[in-house]
Amino acid sequence: MPLSRRDFLQTGAFAGGALALAGCDGVYRQAAQQLGQTIPRSVTPPSGVGLDPFHHLLSRAGFGPWPGDVERARSMGAEAWIDEQLAPESIDDRACDLRANRFETVFCPGGEAYEYRRPVVHEELARFTLLRALYSRRQLHEVMVEFWSDHFNMDIGKAECAWLKSSHDREVLRAHALGRFRDLVRGTALSPAMLVYLDGRANKRARNEDRPNENFARELLELHTLGVHGGYTQRDVMEAARALTGWTVRKGWRKGSVEFRAADHDDGPKEVLGVTIPAGHGERDLDLLLDIVLRHPSTSRHLAVKLCRRFVSEQPPESLVERVAEAYRSTNGEIRPMVRAILTSEEFRRSAALKVKRPFRYVVSALRSLGADTFAHRPLLEYLSRMGQPLFSYPTPDGYPDENAPWLGAFFWRWNFAVALVTNRIGKTSVDLRALNDAIAPPGAAAHSARWLRHLLGRDGTPAEQAAIDRFLGGSGGTPAQRQAEAVGLILASPGFQWF
Amino acid sequence: MTDSCPSRRALLRSLFFGLQPVKPGRTLVCVFLRGGADGLNMIVPHGDDRYYTLRPTLGVPRPDDRTADDGRAIDLDRFYGLHPALAPLRPIYSAGRLAIVHAAGSDDQTRSHFEAQDQMEHGVRMNQIASGGWLGRHLRARNAAEERAMPPVALGTSIPESLRGAPAAATLTSLDDFSINTATGDLRGLAEALEALYSADSTAAAACGRETLEVMRRVERLKHGADAPAHSASYPDHEFARGLRLVARLIQAGVGPEAACLDLGGWDTHFTQGAVSGLLPGLMRTLAESLAAFDADLGDSGERVVTVVMTEFGRRAYENVSFGTDHGRAGVMFLMGGSVAGGKVYGAWPGLGEDRMDGPGDLAVTTDYRDVLAEVVARGFGQSRLGDVFPGHTPSFRGVMR
Repeated sequence: MPLSRRDFLQTGAFAGGALALAGCDGVYRQAAQQLGQTIPRSVTPPSGVGLDPFHHLLSRAGFGPWPGDVERARSMGAEAWIDEQLAPESIDDRACDLRANRFETVFCPGGEAYEYRRPVVHEELARFTLLRALYSRRQLHEVMVEFWSDHFNMDIGKAECAWLKSSHDREVLRAHALGRFRDLVRGTALSPAMLVYLDGRANKRARNEDRPNENFARELLELHTLGVHGGYTQRDVMEAARALTGWTVRKGWRKGSVEFRAADHDDGPKEVLGVTIPAGHGERDLDLLLDIVLRHPSTSRHLAVKLCRRFVSEQPPESLVERVAEAYRSTNGEIRPMVRAILTSEEFRRSAALKVKRPFRYVVSALRSLGADTFAHRPLLEYLSRMGQPLFSYPTPDGYPDENAPWLGAFFWRWNFAVALVTNRIGKTSVDLRALNDAIAPPGAAAHSARWLRHLLGRDGTPAEQAAIDRFLGGSGGTPAQRQAEAVGLILASPGFQWF
Repeated sequence: MTDSCPSRRALLRSLFFGLQPVKPGRTLVCVFLRGGADGLNMIVPHGDDRYYTLRPTLGVPRPDDRTADDGRAIDLDRFYGLHPALAPLRPIYSAGRLAIVHAAGSDDQTRSHFEAQDQMEHGVRMNQIASGGWLGRHLRARNAAEERAMPPVALGTSIPESLRGAPAAATLTSLDDFSINTATGDLRGLAEALEALYSADSTAAAACGRETLEVMRRVERLKHGADAPAHSASYPDHEFARGLRLVARLIQAGVGPEAACLDLGGWDTHFTQGAVSGLLPGLMRTLAESLAAFDADLGDSGERVVTVVMTEFGRRAYENVSFGTDHGRAGVMFLMGGSVAGGKVYGAWPGLGEDRMDGPGDLAVTTDYRDVLAEVVARGFGQSRLGDVFPGHTPSFRGVMR
């Protein structure tokens, strides 16, 4: 949506006011609403027995539709919408920026966050992440950021990671989310947070008898590039570890920044995956190592499988995986063509509702579907913890699982979240169900519950769903508004909303 | 007892009759004594004269010490004795449901609370980095067929490190945590609607939804059922005891979590810890009374429960100038439950001679705490992937489980 000069000036005025009243959520809210972050006057819910293809697209390439998004995508056509999303820099995202870009620790240069307490740094990064996923119009970019956060996972609870993670998130994952894979791998290898998380900083050969610390080298091959069955050996891990010796994180002066200590580097020749890295290349060993592993066919396959698993299904069709891997190989590891190949494929179109929403997606898609107003304060984040996905806290480097089974546990917290959300009982998070009801069911329209089912599920409700909701609506207890709200909560708690 | 006043067991049976079966699984209860509990005064090595030499003020008198009027150790096996404040544990020990491992601990040399707790909760050796806690890894590595709707719980408001990485680990402060907080107050209506929605569903979510509803229903009944503990169990008035009581209720209702973690703090007794009465004996009494009430309350359900009590380290063998003890090395572990090979104090006694002690005068570790935990999860909970639970450690079982 192009902004008029007047809109722009208004934004400026609001932003100026916001600065004067730093910390005042209301000002940011108003400014964001000025920029169109509102519930449209009229929303046409999808219909049909099968899942609406645009609802499907927005649920996978984004965190689910915001009211009005489905119509907008439909009017653009799928390809145009995908191409727009693949060029996130072309999408005006100031409304989201207003809400999300106010956390100091998220934007401070690496190393400067040490001034803050650990819980503050962690919470601000979590709030920032949730707010961007919720409000950004660059939805595909946010989905890719989440993907890379898992791919290059680190547990913010380990050692100093809390203070160093935000620069990795900003300068590596967000900067290259749809860019070149090499920049992501290299940026991660040299990020202070990863050097701490996987002990790369302790990987050195200062004396002849020093044995390298293999931790990062192993994960580089096993998780970041080739994959566990990618055809490397223990010897390759040890040789890769030798090539990575000397990179460390400064203590004391310029604490938290990365340096290469030539004296700690093993500068002898190495052989990784049958390719020789000649002696004497010092810090260039890293790039020579990356040349080897990023060109290896296993890496294109590993990344293709992971992307297809994220976007399509737990067991993605081989035909698709091969095309996506080929997109990697033919472009030297560009992410965009890989993602485009997936989203425009027939396999993608046929994969509706095969994946269980992880808690983060469940929460964000629910908030988006209702056009919620929030600044992601602690009560909201706590639901994520209780559902089993506290942000940046997965303990192992493989990231939160992408399979369905681990998330099919107790639903208490999903249900509690759904009911609390619709009845506006989550601290500092609110929904305007009346406005949304007016938008999806114009005055006089019959069967509101049917429209709500279509709006939230992206298809007609089944007779059983319709009957369950209507029966609850006909029950007693609470005010009519509370009852209607909890009926909406039931749809969010229903099995249909757990899948995407 | 008249017909109108059925026993609690009968009441529960009648309440649950006809409900869908939720597989009553086994529960691992982990109690962590924070601060470094003084194993030497809990399980007193009264057969070792050096103990009395090193602890002239704090030593707990021998079981046959006729001069000790205030209290003396309760003999267990002519070498070890229970501190008198732990007397409530004696019948459980005699019945073979309580095992004690003395001189157990980790290889931690920092004697720092944080480092030592961190190491134990992660289930590693010193300076080893592992992902998540040992309990979290155990729950992740266990047989998926045993997944249950009731998530592993930590009593209180935060998840301890040991549970980190456990699928959907939850904090538990009250039974309300396993319900839906509705604004209309129509919980029944909501539950009926959810039942209808999940029953009509044909996806893998259906079973989860129905099982969640079943747990909810049982917890609701618990809330409205009799609150008195079974078998005249009497819990002390203490938060720790209330936590155990809550766990017992869930287990009795057949919705016991696979794991429950509880903390009991205050064991860092550098200053006037007290010999037979005082600060430390008071803590011991709380521990013993709570565990004994838990054991009694569970009754037959105790067959499906193993309770492990551990601490980050024991305390220095000799008392300090302020009648307390400083951070040491080996401590004691307790194991309680029907499948425990109880009635015995396990572990080789390292002795208290200068040449036998560790560092500045600490009881040496003769049993790696991981050996005990590994045996508990392997033989008590069918864990076959011990290498995942305790990476880099090849446990040797001590026979603490039946």
